[in-house]
Amino acid sequence: MIAALAYLQVHTVKNRLTMRIKRLKQPKYLFGALVGGLYFYWYFFRVLLFPRGINHSYSPITAASPADAAFYEFIGALVFFTFIVLAWGLPHKRAALAFSEAEVAFLFPAPVTRRTLIHFKLMRSQFGILFSALFLTLVSSRFGANGHWLMRAAGWWVILFTLNLHLLGASFSITMLMDRGISTWKRRLAVLLSVIALLSFVGFWIGCKFPQLTSADLTNFDTIKAYTQHAFASGPLPYLLFPFQLVIRPYLAPDGFAFLAALGPALLVMLLHYLWVVRSDVAFEEASVEASQKLAEKLAAVRAGNWRTAGKKLKQKRPPFRLHSTGPAFMALFWKNLINAGNAITARTWIFVTVFVAVMSFSMQGVRSNANLTLVVGSAAAMLGSWTLLLGPQMVRQDFRHDLPQMDMLKVFPLRGWQVALGEILAPTTILTAIQWLLIIVAVVCLAPAAKGKFSPSLVLVLGAGTALVVPIFNLISLVIPNAAELLFPAWFQTGKDAPQGIEATGQRLIFALGQFLALIVALIPAAAVFAAIFFAVKFLAGVTLAVCVATVVAAAVLAVEAALGVLLLGWLFQRFDISGEPAS
Amino acid sequence: MIQVELLTKLYGDFTAVNELSFSLQPGEVMGLVGPNGAGKTTTMRCLAGIIPPTRGTVNICGHNLATHAMEAKRQLAFFSDEPRLFEYLTVWQHLNFVARIYQVANFEPIGRTLLEELELADKVDKLPGELSRGMKQKLAIACGLLHSPRVMYFDEPLTGLDPMGIRRMKDSILKRARDGAVIIISSHLLHLVEEICSRILILKNGGKVIDGTIAEIAQKYSRESGDANLEEVFFRATDEPPRLP
Repeated sequence: MIAALAYLQVHTVKNRLTMRIKRLKQPKYLFGALVGGLYFYWYFFRVLLFPRGINHSYSPITAASPADAAFYEFIGALVFFTFIVLAWGLPHKRAALAFSEAEVAFLFPAPVTRRTLIHFKLMRSQFGILFSALFLTLVSSRFGANGHWLMRAAGWWVILFTLNLHLLGASFSITMLMDRGISTWKRRLAVLLSVIALLSFVGFWIGCKFPQLTSADLTNFDTIKAYTQHAFASGPLPYLLFPFQLVIRPYLAPDGFAFLAALGPALLVMLLHYLWVVRSDVAFEEASVEASQKLAEKLAAVRAGNWRTAGKKLKQKRPPFRLHSTGPAFMALFWKNLINAGNAITARTWIFVTVFVAVMSFSMQGVRSNANLTLVVGSAAAMLGSWTLLLGPQMVRQDFRHDLPQMDMLKVFPLRGWQVALGEILAPTTILTAIQWLLIIVAVVCLAPAAKGKFSPSLVLVLGAGTALVVPIFNLISLVIPNAAELLFPAWFQTGKDAPQGIEATGQRLIFALGQFLALIVALIPAAAVFAAIFFAVKFLAGVTLAVCVATVVAAAVLAVEAALGVLLLGWLFQRFDISGEPAS
Repeated sequence: MIQVELLTKLYGDFTAVNELSFSLQPGEVMGLVGPNGAGKTTTMRCLAGIIPPTRGTVNICGHNLATHAMEAKRQLAFFSDEPRLFEYLTVWQHLNFVARIYQVANFEPIGRTLLEELELADKVDKLPGELSRGMKQKLAIACGLLHSPRVMYFDEPLTGLDPMGIRRMKDSILKRARDGAVIIISSHLLHLVEEICSRILILKNGGKVIDGTIAEIAQKYSRESGDANLEEVFFRATDEPPRLP
């Protein structure tokens, strides 16, 4: 029977790989794969393949001395121990093995024993574990871990698989406890009391037998480390953490011999876990069916482009304003997308937050001792504002990017392309602008005192007002670009199981990020040129403040024209968009 | 009311719909049937303005769907087999949203009546995620009917409905037709088509193989091989398509 399940698993992976290789014939995947491959090579694989040529700026994770090795081993064991405690304390449901709906439909009615299903589950989990082990090896190599990468990958595999087995075994045991009438809270109390008892015991021993912690022990990282190493190496802690150390040890082994020596005990721990899991006779079918349905709902939500709904229940949200049944129709899309964005963006909330932040900023400004704090707050606000200008459009996506699966509904509406386009991108524009205006107020209020003597108050005010005038138009342009890209290349934004994954997806995202950045730069050039020309002309005649004022207004007008053209272009793309030609539909 | 002339839709070299022509008058209910892949959904989507046809024209109430899309779209409603709803809008918010899109002044009484007819009156504050599939279907129907369309397209309208819902849906379709609406139903349920449609159009490989009233088609096939119901007509027509006049 397990052979049939192995067949299923092997062919699932084989077919998926074949499909991904075949689609490299399409340029969008091929270019994505090339760029993604270069990125991964440059950032990760180069470190693995040519470690000598890389100049690490990080201190190695693995140990330079036996004392260091013990220290890292104890830290790792403590982390592992924490996971184990959580595995026993947190769950509140019966054990459920994750199966897809198709697997439930085929395997559960079939003459397959529970043990075989567990073996199938373990076999299937290997792909995820191996991938995670490889990924963690790449990341740890990037940050300067020592030893051969294959050893580290095997070390990660031992840790992850043992943890996986323990989580499974714990879930089975918890189910058995539930069947015997032990409630979740009783179990949690028992876990908590056990942990408190252990910590008390260790604390008591440290208090009685161990030298008192002095300020000299806290001088620097080395003294803290030395004290901790001493504490870990004596008393009850080494015994308590011993099984967990065994699991961690292969990863931290400095050479091949040490690795082989550490591997035996680690595999023994793993074997004991395996026996525990396969010998547990727990009815997991019902909970698994429920879990598979939830998984299917989650996948369906993701496939429909609704990442937000995946795995969580939506709540009814208050409309941001009353939508009358007559008036500009694009406002309906704006209203809808604001509801989508959540309760946090109702006008009342923004007024409250604005007033609160403004009052806080003014009050801080009035306190002399907080001068440095206001400078920090002002700089942080300015930095955050700049950051939202560049990255905000990627994060606030209540526009075409969210509505792509509903495109046929939008197409039926009696709206012109530009109306749909404007309605779609208004919500993220408004959200970003509201955040940025708030940050501008904070920045101006907090930085104005520091600017005294360098800039006149009127200039500071004009700079703040000018930025506030430009940001909504800038946001509109910034949002036109990713939305236009979505309508031009919808398959690149595809979600769900058919979505590009892995290296080609990373490459596609890199290409898109670069393309969007370039498009934004090009869009800004005319406005920047106009600003510079007018600024220098007016400055010569009427001074800096007026120059900034006039140049900003004219540059904003240029940006507004560009934004309007962008919306028209987006509308035209929407009208031309043929859903049936896209796999996402 | 609907006039379709030489409607063609190509996907590269593949012809999904091939030079389809027909016209429908107020009160007519046309069944669009055909085997899987015949081009029914593509036709419906072209007729609704969701996808542009490669060639040909579609006129809705005298408005060309390509050149006067807004005027044409105001007259129609499209009900897909899978209800398309916004998961974050409640039942009432859906109606409010659609009212603004179609500029339905004073939509509240119309909306309430529709929700009562469709047994959704007690679900106004529910999100689609809290509704059963049948209720979602009903909500999509309420949204589509809010602006009193004169042309309606139903793609598999009975999917997910319970027996009572099926009965109500059939009655509702026939009532709208009696009131002068033009209705096109795409379905594999031949008994449904036979029961409520006054005209049938059978598609195969994107082309029209039969177009006519139930009586005309029955008469034509009866002449050839005795009495024929729609199922028999369908199988004969799609296996060996008769020559069209």
